[in-house]
Amino acid sequence: MGDNFQNNKTMAPVMMDYDFKVKTQNERSKVEDLFDFEGCKVGRGTYGHVYKARRKDGSDTKDYALKQIEGTGLSMSACREIALLRELKHPNVINLIRVFLSHTDRKVWLLFDYAEHDLWHIIKFHRAAKANKKSVMVPKGMVKSLLYQILDGIHYLHSNWVLHRDLKPANILVMGEGPERGRVKIADMGFARLFNAPLKPLADLDPVVVTFWYRAPELLLGARHYTKAIDIWAIGCIFAELLTSEPIFHCRQEDIKTSNPYHHDQLDRIFNVMGFPQEKDWEDIRKMPEHATLVKDFKRSNYQNCSLSKYMDRHKIKPDSKAFSLLQRLLLMDPNKRITSEQAMQDPYFTEDPPTTPDVFAGCPIPYPKREFLTDDDQEDKSDSKARQNQQQQQPNTQQNQVQANSHDHGANNAKRMRMAGPNQGNNNTGGGQQDFHPQQQMMFGSQQQGGTSQQQGNFQQRFQ
Amino acid sequence: MAGNFWQSSHHQQWILDKTDLIRDRQHDLNILSDEEYQKIFNFFASIIQVLGEQLKLRQQVIATATVYFKRFYARNSLKCIDPLLLAPTCVFLASKVEEFGVISNSRLITTCQTVIKNKFGYAYGQQEFPYRTNHILECEFYLLENLDCCLIVYQPYRPLLLFVQDIGQDDQLLTYAWRIVNDSLRTDVSLIYPPYQIAIAALHIACVMLGKENQKSWFAELNVDMDKIQEIVRSIINLYEMWKSYDEKKEIQGLLAKMPKPKPAPQR
Repeated sequence: MGDNFQNNKTMAPVMMDYDFKVKTQNERSKVEDLFDFEGCKVGRGTYGHVYKARRKDGSDTKDYALKQIEGTGLSMSACREIALLRELKHPNVINLIRVFLSHTDRKVWLLFDYAEHDLWHIIKFHRAAKANKKSVMVPKGMVKSLLYQILDGIHYLHSNWVLHRDLKPANILVMGEGPERGRVKIADMGFARLFNAPLKPLADLDPVVVTFWYRAPELLLGARHYTKAIDIWAIGCIFAELLTSEPIFHCRQEDIKTSNPYHHDQLDRIFNVMGFPQEKDWEDIRKMPEHATLVKDFKRSNYQNCSLSKYMDRHKIKPDSKAFSLLQRLLLMDPNKRITSEQAMQDPYFTEDPPTTPDVFAGCPIPYPKREFLTDDDQEDKSDSKARQNQQQQQPNTQQNQVQANSHDHGANNAKRMRMAGPNQGNNNTGGGQQDFHPQQQMMFGSQQQGGTSQQQGNFQQRFQ
Repeated sequence: MAGNFWQSSHHQQWILDKTDLIRDRQHDLNILSDEEYQKIFNFFASIIQVLGEQLKLRQQVIATATVYFKRFYARNSLKCIDPLLLAPTCVFLASKVEEFGVISNSRLITTCQTVIKNKFGYAYGQQEFPYRTNHILECEFYLLENLDCCLIVYQPYRPLLLFVQDIGQDDQLLTYAWRIVNDSLRTDVSLIYPPYQIAIAALHIACVMLGKENQKSWFAELNVDMDKIQEIVRSIINLYEMWKSYDEKKEIQGLLAKMPKPKPAPQR
C-alpha cells in the first residue's frame, strides 16, 4: 500500500510530499528493529497477539509486552485503546509505553511493560493444585491485596469517566519479579469507552461485550447503557472466584455470538447462586427491556433455597466474615444499590488483619509459573475468533488435570503449548512444563495446619489445601 | 477523560506557544501572507464542518477533527499532505475516537465526492474529489504519528455548558456562545489556549453582543487570567472582521492555487 499513490496513473494530485514522506520514513522506528520477540508469543485472543520482548540494543534488560492488534489498520477499538491509554496513568492500570505503526503491512503494535502473571492463570493454578490435593503457599493477605488494587485501578478509571466493560480474570495482570513485583495492572481496555457523554446508546455499538460469566444481571436483561455498576459486578465475580477458585456464575455457553443480550442459562445460573431477586430488592427490574421474558421463563419458587451466603458457605467462606459482607455489597442485583469502587475501598475488610500489601505476594516466593510461549500450528485456521474466546473461557473447567497433562491441550485448542527458551530468557530454571505446575508442598507459614480453627477462613492459604 | 484536563496530553503537549507556532509556519508564510494562511484554514474548517454535518456527526466530533487538522499543520507545512486529503482523514479518525460508530469507507468517499461537488464547486470547479479509501487509510497513519497518538481533545463545549448553568440558565446566551465556540475553530485559539478559557471568551463576546451588561460581576469574580481571555476575544473578533471584507467564493481558487503543494518523487 505504501506507494500506491505514486503509481496512480490517474490525474489525482500528489497527495503527499516526497521529501516529507522520506523524512518521516527515516525517523520512524520499526518494532522489529528495536525489539527481539520472534518465537516469544505469550498470548492470543480476539484482541490480537502478545509477545514477550527485549530491547535489541541492550539499553535495558527489562521484559516488555508487545501487542500486535488483530487485523490491519485502525479499527475503532484500536483507536479507543490508543486514545485512552495515551491519557491514563495509574499504578494499577497498564501503561502504554509506545505505539508502532507498521506502514508496509498496516499492523499496529502497542508496547507495554511485561506482566508475568494474570488472575486467569493464577486461579487455574490453584484449581489444578486443589484437584490434586496439593497446597499452594501464598501470603494470607494476597486475595485482599489483589482486590484492593483492582478497586484502586477501577476507581481511577471511573473517576476519569472511563468504563472498562470487559473485566475478567484474564484482564487482571500481576507483575512478576522486578521493581513493581506483585502489583496489579488492569489491562485490555480495547472495549473501554468514555461514558459521561455517550454519543450513541452504548449497546448499539457492539452488542456482546462482556464475557457472560462476569456480566451483570441488568445487561442480561437488556440494559442499553453501561454503567460503573457493571464493572463493579464483574469485580464481585472476580473476588468470589479468588476466594473459591471457581467461577461463581459459571455457565455453559454454546452460542456466544448471539446479538441478543438476554441469556437464559446465564440468568438461571445467577439465580441458582443468588436466589431470585425480591421485588423490594430490585424495584426497577420491572423496567428492564427483557423483564417480560424473565417473567415468562423463570419461576421464583425454583430458587427458594438459593442464596449467596449458602453458596459461599459451601465454599468455606463464612457468612459472618468481612470478606463475605463485602462480596455481598459488590454483588447486589440492583445496580443502583451496588457499592462504588470508592465505598468498597473503605470496607472494614481492608482494615482487619491481615493488612493489604503493595506487593500482593508480600515478598514471599511467587509460586506461579512464568508464561509459556505459544506456537500456532495452524495459523491459517480461520476458526471464528469468538469460538476461540468461548473456548478460552471454558478452559478453567477443562483443565483440572493440567498438572499431569500440562502439555496435552484439549481437543480443538489449536495453540499448542510448549516450553521454549526465548532468545533473551536468562534462566530457564526448570526442564519441562510438568515441574512448573507442581504446587509447592512445604508450608510457608509453619504453624498453620490444615482445617485449622483460624478466623481467616476466606483466605487462599486455607482454600487451596 | 472528562475529569482531568490538567494531566491530559492536550494540556501537557498540545497547548502551544504562539511565537513557536508562528516560527514553525515560516515555510508557508514565505509564500502566503498571514491573512491568506488564515483564509485557507477557514476554508478547510468549512469542509470539515460540512463533511461532518453530512455524515451526521455531532459538533464535538467535528471540533475534534478540526483540532487534529490544525495540530498536523502546526508541525508541518501545508505542502506535506494535501489538506483536501487530510480534512476527511481527520473526520474519519475523530469519528472513531469519539465513538460515533464506524463510518464505512465507501460512505466516507461518497460523502466527500458529493460535498466537494455540491457545496465547494466554487473552489474546485469541475474537478472531482480525487482520493480513494486507500489514500485516506495511508494518510491516517501519518496523521496518527504526527499527533503523537494524542487523540483525546478537550473542547470548550462542556465548560461552556457549566458556565452558563452557573450564570443562570439562559438559552439565548448559550446559543450565541456555542456558535462563537464553533467559529473559534477557524482561528488558532484551540492550539494556544485551554478550552475553558475559550469558553469564557466566547461567553464574554456573547454577552457583549446581547448587551448583557449585568454579567460583568460574574466575569469579575472568575479566577482566570483576563489577559488571556482578552487575547482569545481579539482572535475571534479579528476573524469576524476578516469575514466582513472577504468573499471566499471569489478568492478561494486563487488562494488554493498559491498554496504550497506536495512535490512528487524526483523523476529518473
